[in-house]
Amino acid sequence: MKIAALGIDVGSTTVKMTAVNAAGEMLWHHLETVDPRVEKQVDSFLNKLQDDVDSLKDIPLIATGYGRNLVHQAVKKVTEITCHAKGVYHQLGRGGTLVDIGGQDSKAIVIGDQGQVIDFAMNDKCAAGTGRFLEHSAARMQVPIAEMGSVALSAKEEVAISSTCTVFAESEIISMIAHGVAVEPILMGLHRSLIRRVVAMVRSVGLVPPLLLSGGVVKNPAIRKVIEEETKEKVFLPEHPQLMGAYGAALFALKMIE
Amino acid sequence: MQMTIPSRKEVIKDIKKRKGLVAAVLPIHYSRALLRTFDIYPIELWGPPKVDVSLGGTHLQTYVCSIVHNALSFLKMGALNVADLLLIPHTCDSLQGLASILIDLIKPEQAIFPLYLPRGQREDDLTFLADELHSLYAQLSDFTGKHPSDEDLLAAIKREEMSDLLMAKLYKKKQLMGINNIDFYRLIRSREYLPAEQFSDLADEALQTSGEPIQGIPIILSGIVPEPMEVLSTIDEMNGEVVADDLACCGRRLYEPGTGTDPFRRMAERIIYAPPDPTRGNSIEERVKYLTGMAQNTGAKGIIFYDVKFCEPELFDLPELRNALKEVGLASINVEVNINNPLPHQVATRIGAFLEMLDS
Repeated sequence: MKIAALGIDVGSTTVKMTAVNAAGEMLWHHLETVDPRVEKQVDSFLNKLQDDVDSLKDIPLIATGYGRNLVHQAVKKVTEITCHAKGVYHQLGRGGTLVDIGGQDSKAIVIGDQGQVIDFAMNDKCAAGTGRFLEHSAARMQVPIAEMGSVALSAKEEVAISSTCTVFAESEIISMIAHGVAVEPILMGLHRSLIRRVVAMVRSVGLVPPLLLSGGVVKNPAIRKVIEEETKEKVFLPEHPQLMGAYGAALFALKMIE
Repeated sequence: MQMTIPSRKEVIKDIKKRKGLVAAVLPIHYSRALLRTFDIYPIELWGPPKVDVSLGGTHLQTYVCSIVHNALSFLKMGALNVADLLLIPHTCDSLQGLASILIDLIKPEQAIFPLYLPRGQREDDLTFLADELHSLYAQLSDFTGKHPSDEDLLAAIKREEMSDLLMAKLYKKKQLMGINNIDFYRLIRSREYLPAEQFSDLADEALQTSGEPIQGIPIILSGIVPEPMEVLSTIDEMNGEVVADDLACCGRRLYEPGTGTDPFRRMAERIIYAPPDPTRGNSIEERVKYLTGMAQNTGAKGIIFYDVKFCEPELFDLPELRNALKEVGLASINVEVNINNPLPHQVATRIGAFLEMLDS
């Protein structure tokens, strides 16, 4: 495996690393739940990669994500907004409006025809509209997070969850459970509540089609369906939506040596 | 650039030593010259940050901004005991409310002087403000027993005008001085508490210096106050260069010299015709014109609106203002902070992403 550059995305929930060749193709990736001892975790990532390649000497690493400043092995730090835009543009080959829903924040990024960031908005101070909202609700409903989307999509009907706030939504859930509402319609309502919050943020920057998605949360099929319903736009997502930050970082690292 | 800027505490100690009076002044616009003719030294109160706000919270709603919360808490914890009086301009409903709470309910030891500001730039507004300043003069005469003459007032006005001209020169020369953002704003913001003559000396000294020009990504900083000040270090670290500002505590108070010999009209003129400010009723169109002109003159690529959460006059216009700026090709970002909190990591990320966007 001929590695040319590396990117790492230290998110609030997971750490992702990608390695690319000189053509910018993703050759290797690894993902783990984030460890508070970030530097040590990055070393362990590099050791894992070391097993598969000849040498990591002189291979540049760029860090992004919430914990980017803790990655002392990186030659440069770039924000996750710029990296996600870079990664998605490179994978999908088009600009548009990128919605990234991560574990702790969500972003709407308008990407130009040349892959440049034109405008962006972030929801970063509140769990509403983020993966944390679903995690919290999944725990309350005792549904595994990985199955949440498929269970929601199996609903024959949907109930309205009016709160986008995680704490108030939980109060609504408790009230609905007490009234005998089944799990599936509540889950569908929760997905819509989250997406409505995200769509409001998208509208604040102006939705420029096509609608592109990234982040771990978009692996959930109910999220994709509801966002299409709410925006009336078909969504496009890369093969590894969760890795786009790390991939974008690796592409920036590659650019450094070109 | 190495400069020794006296702290607020040192300045207050010095004033007290000289038997001067201290006025704690809340944001934004007032006449420094008027106070100085009574040997009253204005020390401005932009919060301050990092105060236990539970004391002020007893009297204020949660949606009142952190500047007002902190100012009231600061007073209630006894930290304003050094002040002989409080001057509270009617900048917004929250500050007017603070003046009412102090006068009617808390009744602090210090005398409270409200100052009503008109919301326009018409002749009537000028007359109104001149009358208000006249009324404040009468109240301060009663308070101090002094009766400064028109000549005294004009001399004080000219001293302040000189200081403001020097401040304007500092802005023009900033990029050539080799001074980073945080050090520059420490100097500029010392105008909030230094007597004019002391600030002028410092400004003169700074203007003599030159250094390696800083070639960062040129931006305009707008909003109320750059607190916590570490936002400026963050901009420095991310290679941003504040080439001009539209901050209420700084650039919006680059008052032009007045004209005429009537001191009250001259003081009023300076405030009324200052750079556009939503708290003085300037329209969105006026602000767009002013900000785009500022960007053209300085080469700024974008604007950071760095606002205090719940600042009603500032935030009310912001969506329309940003849309209008976008239409003329000027990118902007809005971040809101509570001045009592350390700079959130998320704010640094937003600013970083904005600078990367401008640089791409």
